[in-house]
Amino acid sequence: MIAAFAVAPVVLVTLLIGLRGVAAMRTTSDFLVASRRVSPLLNSAAVSGEYLSAASFLGVAGLVVKDGVGSLWYPVGFTAGYIAMLTLVAAPMRRSGALTVPDFAEARLASPSLRRLAAVVVLVISGLYLVPQFRTAGLVLSVVGGTPYWVGVVLAGVAVSATLALGGMRAATYVQAFQFVFKLLLFIIPAIWLLLEVGPTVREQAVHPVEFTEFERDTSVVFRVGATLDVPPGAAEIAPDGTRTALPPGEWQVPAGRTVVFPEGSPAPELRGETAPGAAGWERPLLDLRHEGYPLLSTWAVLIATMLGTMGLPHVIMRFHTSPDGRAARRTAAFTVALLSVFYLFPGIYGALGRVLVPHLYLSGATDSAVVALPAQVDTGATGTLFTGLLTAGAFAAFLATSLGLVLVVSGAISHDLVPGGLRQLRVAVVVAAAVVVLLALPAARLDAGTLVTWGFTVAASTFCPLLVLGIWWPRLTATGAIAGVTNGLLGSSGAFLVSLLDPPVDGWLAVLLVQPAPWSVPLAFVTMVGVSLFGRPPPWSTAAMLRLHLHENRSSLIADRAAVARDLGHSSWSARRSSAVRRITRRLVR
Amino acid sequence: MTTNRRVAVMSPQTRLAHARRRHRGRWRPATLDPVDAPTAAALYHRQRARAIASLGLLFALLLGLPLLLSVLPSLDDVRLLGVPASWLALVVVPFPAMVLLAFRHLRRAEHVEDASGEDPA
Repeated sequence: MIAAFAVAPVVLVTLLIGLRGVAAMRTTSDFLVASRRVSPLLNSAAVSGEYLSAASFLGVAGLVVKDGVGSLWYPVGFTAGYIAMLTLVAAPMRRSGALTVPDFAEARLASPSLRRLAAVVVLVISGLYLVPQFRTAGLVLSVVGGTPYWVGVVLAGVAVSATLALGGMRAATYVQAFQFVFKLLLFIIPAIWLLLEVGPTVREQAVHPVEFTEFERDTSVVFRVGATLDVPPGAAEIAPDGTRTALPPGEWQVPAGRTVVFPEGSPAPELRGETAPGAAGWERPLLDLRHEGYPLLSTWAVLIATMLGTMGLPHVIMRFHTSPDGRAARRTAAFTVALLSVFYLFPGIYGALGRVLVPHLYLSGATDSAVVALPAQVDTGATGTLFTGLLTAGAFAAFLATSLGLVLVVSGAISHDLVPGGLRQLRVAVVVAAAVVVLLALPAARLDAGTLVTWGFTVAASTFCPLLVLGIWWPRLTATGAIAGVTNGLLGSSGAFLVSLLDPPVDGWLAVLLVQPAPWSVPLAFVTMVGVSLFGRPPPWSTAAMLRLHLHENRSSLIADRAAVARDLGHSSWSARRSSAVRRITRRLVR
Repeated sequence: MTTNRRVAVMSPQTRLAHARRRHRGRWRPATLDPVDAPTAAALYHRQRARAIASLGLLFALLLGLPLLLSVLPSLDDVRLLGVPASWLALVVVPFPAMVLLAFRHLRRAEHVEDASGEDPA
């Protein structure tokens, strides 16, 4: 019931705004980049709305509960990505006049095969990012509303594809901007309410972490996925008929779908391979991936992956193309840093309170739902239900907004970059892409969402980040070099993740670099690109193509005074733009 | 079958253009006008210098803060308003610093463009 009341308005408003975007939709540019008429403030709200996915709204707080305070480095990396975007990519990228990242790659390097490779990378990144979004939609609805898992997934798929097929990027822009404000309010107000409502004892406990060793009240844990627990002596459960039965100490395989009610005062079992929330090291402000004992390396690796990955996320880059000019794109990036910084002040509050109030979620691997589970722990009455509803609505808005951008990018990659297509094909591609993602997400309930999203970020960091940075700032980049670098980055980062899924017997810093390969896969891609490019010869126009990206629009030398400038290029104005003339001049200028 | 299909009214040229298959070949952005080349080169060099400076500050912040927290574990025991200082350092330090850095870079980058617009080198 709560779920219906919370989610229905979000979905309806999304569809209504989508309908408003239908007007005047004629060309590919209208569909993919909203005719490039989006002001910086609106655009930065839309970028932030798109970017604050389920991972930010629910995931960060859940990671804090599970792994410790160090997980707060994730949002720092997410935000820092926009500074890298601002300094290196935003304005030149917009000035290229491209519609998508593959478009840009072809514009700068004139290589159709690079365009196709880039389109495939877009599909890989978007797939890795989309499946967890839809999965979380299903899980959150099933946790809060008790609906079957598939209902949330299908609902998300229908809302996203309908909005996009009708309204394209214009609709997505307004929806995402609206949902940013919506999410911000629905995240901040419950956080403040929770802080005031929990009382001084819980606030005191929140800043003095102790290990989760015993249940403080009767606690019901739903195991959606099977788990292996280590049961300490003295632990007990309450059977469905209300009798208290002791659990045999030692290993306990809990089957999927089982609900266990632990009585008050029972010692808490431990999840095999994980440390309990609040255990030693939880309070350290550094990430320790896999508890390998290399916190500094782990923190740096995660920061590099999230920061450089943000720069290469295709749906974020696509949003910058909706700005009217390069200057507006740059302002968009700067405003986005400010908007995200406001939002990211709050996940820590949910995390710290979640460790006190809902630490048992880690037993069933459901710490992702800590945010929506908190209000019910604080207030069992109508107010608690209201806030659960608000947070559920916010979470649903979070994955709707992100999925909108991603599905749009996927349809653009298929129907604009891989095969030629107009508006109708783009609309069909949207529906097909959403249907495929729904089908992929249906069996993904037991996958770890965090792994997939991190994988997506790392692939983006080791493919598009070097491609964009070198494409914009290094005139000697060749198409062969770019293809080699992107391929290497894709294989390196994805290979590491696939190997780590097999759980190889490595430990120490090697294991950290396998779980988070960005510290070596990004330099690998850069070095390959530079190395292969240095062996080849860039095309003669490449310096001019690069310099063109840095020329700003509001320069005063328009046609009027262009005639006044003395030039040695003959009398025809056309010959002045001949490539040989441009080549000669630029060669002189950039050494 | 009655053929009362609605047809968009357009000029013959437009109809021809719509009927033709869309040309999709190699596409390149607008070329650089040689008159603008010196401006573009100057902009490129100045923007690159500013970008490197800003990125240097960003990396110093992002790599330095974890380093500081790992060599100074005593920050865990210092408390401001009851909250460990090392927890606050993850939230209260990086975000305002990044906002300042972003707007500083924005101002500097726009300043470069404004200056070059008035005075084409």
